[in-house]
Amino acid sequence: MTRSVWKGPFVDAYVLKKAEAARESGRKDVIKIWSRRSTILPQFVGLTFGVYNGKKHIPVNVSEDMIGQKFGEYSPTRTYYGHAADKKAKRK
Amino acid sequence: MSDRVIVGALGGAFGVQGEVRLKSFCADPLDIADYAPLYTEDGRRFDQIILTGQTKNALTARINAVTTKEEADALKGVQLYADRDRLPPPADDEYYYADLIGLPVFDSGGTRIATVRNVMDHGAGDLLELAAPGSAETVLLPFTREAVPLVDIAAGRIVADPPPGLFPDA
Repeated sequence: MTRSVWKGPFVDAYVLKKAEAARESGRKDVIKIWSRRSTILPQFVGLTFGVYNGKKHIPVNVSEDMIGQKFGEYSPTRTYYGHAADKKAKRK
Repeated sequence: MSDRVIVGALGGAFGVQGEVRLKSFCADPLDIADYAPLYTEDGRRFDQIILTGQTKNALTARINAVTTKEEADALKGVQLYADRDRLPPPADDEYYYADLIGLPVFDSGGTRIATVRNVMDHGAGDLLELAAPGSAETVLLPFTREAVPLVDIAAGRIVADPPPGLFPDA
């Protein structure tokens, strides 16, 4: 069952506070958060969050197409080390 | 830069006509046929890979010099390597994982701070997994122009400007 629209998206209050503080300071620090359940809001775009995966904080650069998803979706709790083969990394 | 990169592995025979099961590690699995000739670790060379279909978790293929089921079964588990030169040149600001892994990482002052252990992408952009010398712990660095201002594959070095707080003792 989907979440009622009238409630608005769920975000832990401390995430909002940290994001606001980072935006006001203008620094590019990684914002460490443990709240994997928080929804990614439009005001988070451009910030880098370190989302805890149970072991370490995974850096997540928030972009527009991530709005509405949860932070935890970008911080997997299990890591699969595959072969590099012909896979390419793009520097953004 | 290593001369060859691993692109797949053989999974034994498929059917009784000498076809093999082929597991591709490529970003697009079908590309493995384009990288022929492929080599095994002991130097055996396969000049032609003809993909014939797909099966569960693998491709099926016909390889020159393999004509019987027994020969195909004997190759089970053998890893296949392609010449690095066979990979197409990457676009601007694109880098092969194989080229990045193992490169030393320097800070803007020229001090070596880590080595690239792995490259990963969890959906929010590529990340470099850095291993600091003398430490078992790894650090994940976003692969962005701000955090990684210089990637010089030819010279074999990366210059990083990690955000504050990323390295524990930074």
